[in-house]
Amino acid sequence: MSYKPMKTVRLSLACLALILASSCAPTKIVKPLDKGQWQIGGTLGRPQINDGSLPILGAYAAKGVSENRTVYGGVQISSALLGSAHVEGGQVKLWREQNGLEPALSWSTGAQALMSTRDYAFRLYPETGVNAYWHRGPHILNASANTWIDPTWFLTEYGRGQILAPSFSAGYRFRYRWIEAQVEYKILNPTREILVPQADVPNTLGLGARGIYWGVALNF
Amino acid sequence: MMRYLFLFLSAASLLFTSCDGDISAAMFAGGDGTYDFKNEWLDSKYHVDESKIHLLNFESDDDTVYSLYLGDFAQIATDTIIVYLHGNAASMDQFWQTAGLFANLVDQHHYGFIMYDYRGFGWSTGQSTGAESMAADYDAVLEFLEDQGLTSDRMIVFASSLGALAAGPASAGGSRIPIDKLVMEIPQSTSNVIMQNTSGLSLPSSMITSYKFDIGEDLANYDGELLWMHGTADKTAPYETAKAAMYMHEGSYFTEAIYEDVGHGLRWAIGDEEWSRVVLEFIRH
Repeated sequence: MSYKPMKTVRLSLACLALILASSCAPTKIVKPLDKGQWQIGGTLGRPQINDGSLPILGAYAAKGVSENRTVYGGVQISSALLGSAHVEGGQVKLWREQNGLEPALSWSTGAQALMSTRDYAFRLYPETGVNAYWHRGPHILNASANTWIDPTWFLTEYGRGQILAPSFSAGYRFRYRWIEAQVEYKILNPTREILVPQADVPNTLGLGARGIYWGVALNF
Repeated sequence: MMRYLFLFLSAASLLFTSCDGDISAAMFAGGDGTYDFKNEWLDSKYHVDESKIHLLNFESDDDTVYSLYLGDFAQIATDTIIVYLHGNAASMDQFWQTAGLFANLVDQHHYGFIMYDYRGFGWSTGQSTGAESMAADYDAVLEFLEDQGLTSDRMIVFASSLGALAAGPASAGGSRIPIDKLVMEIPQSTSNVIMQNTSGLSLPSSMITSYKFDIGEDLANYDGELLWMHGTADKTAPYETAKAAMYMHEGSYFTEAIYEDVGHGLRWAIGDEEWSRVVLEFIRH
């Protein structure tokens, strides 16, 4: 028998809550699609918990509505499995073309909507972000900054809410004809300490959480 | 186009949620137990009279809850009994040292001591799922104590960490023997706080579970005496939110023992001597 304080490493309820954490999903579109082009994709995110990670599944569709603007919508399947409907939508707009080594810039705006199927509690989180990317042949490298805006921060108990929930990421995409593969490293919510009972959340300087995300998409 | 896309995605999401299964059980870290309660596993100063170690079991709904009682059964009708609600570890095994410490407060078996495994912990059957199962398990143990003659004025309920989730509703009128002296050691505060600390957003816990608890609200409805013990560096049950919950208590007496830079392993950090001093002072108050 052991009589030391036990460090439980199993999946806990609070670990599951991290699935709904801000920006706990990969960046969908970095470079706008061509006009009229569709992209349908699936994403797998793995924010880190203890020595492992949590699987976060999502699906999305996007369409290039003009040469420099793409709209997208997505659903977080993992959230659905936990009992909440979680959908997102938005647009990505080209801001500046790539010029040699100077990266292209795109700007994204959108929103995340979550609703509990238990008591129908509803939350809407607008989001905005900027992507810097380099595109050469089938390769796209990107660095992105994004923030969710919490308009209901005051509903956080004991007055601990924050209006902004930012994230920073770096990724690589291989886009060739009809297929695109994505991988992204993300630092989540580095402006606050993420506390998961009886679990260690790998972080940066004691703040936030981090994860690695993959995606596969079809272009047509 | 976006409108249709959203409609499709919303429908797809709701379709998935129609197979919603509650995952409250994920909160409970129950596991195997050996129940090998012997002096050889204890520091010599916390040895107990091995003839006073009693492993009991009680029916709780359709499940069986296992319990450890240290002391004479006759003591229950005449003496002070400590009801210990343990934290989120696999079984009572992890709290045998704590039991030995309680059994030696003042002197050996001065107080009776009882703890139990919630459903899904140790040998207790079934699965803890939330407020209802926690309340039923607690009541099964209290029914035994009531039958043995325990009364409110001689009962100390000591809730550690997860145990606070059972103690909260019990203190607010959910105990067949009304609680008059309650110790909250490193308690959580609310299910929403756990959700919000984890997600960094204003999300309610109902997004992932139907298990809703609010220990502050429970304590607001508790008239008895309260001792709160906590470390300021606790990352499992954050100090600030626990404080907000504990301070909602407006009962007959409140005292706190707060330790700077101490985490969730409070008793190990402050040492048995200091821990015993604080607990005894409260019991004798």
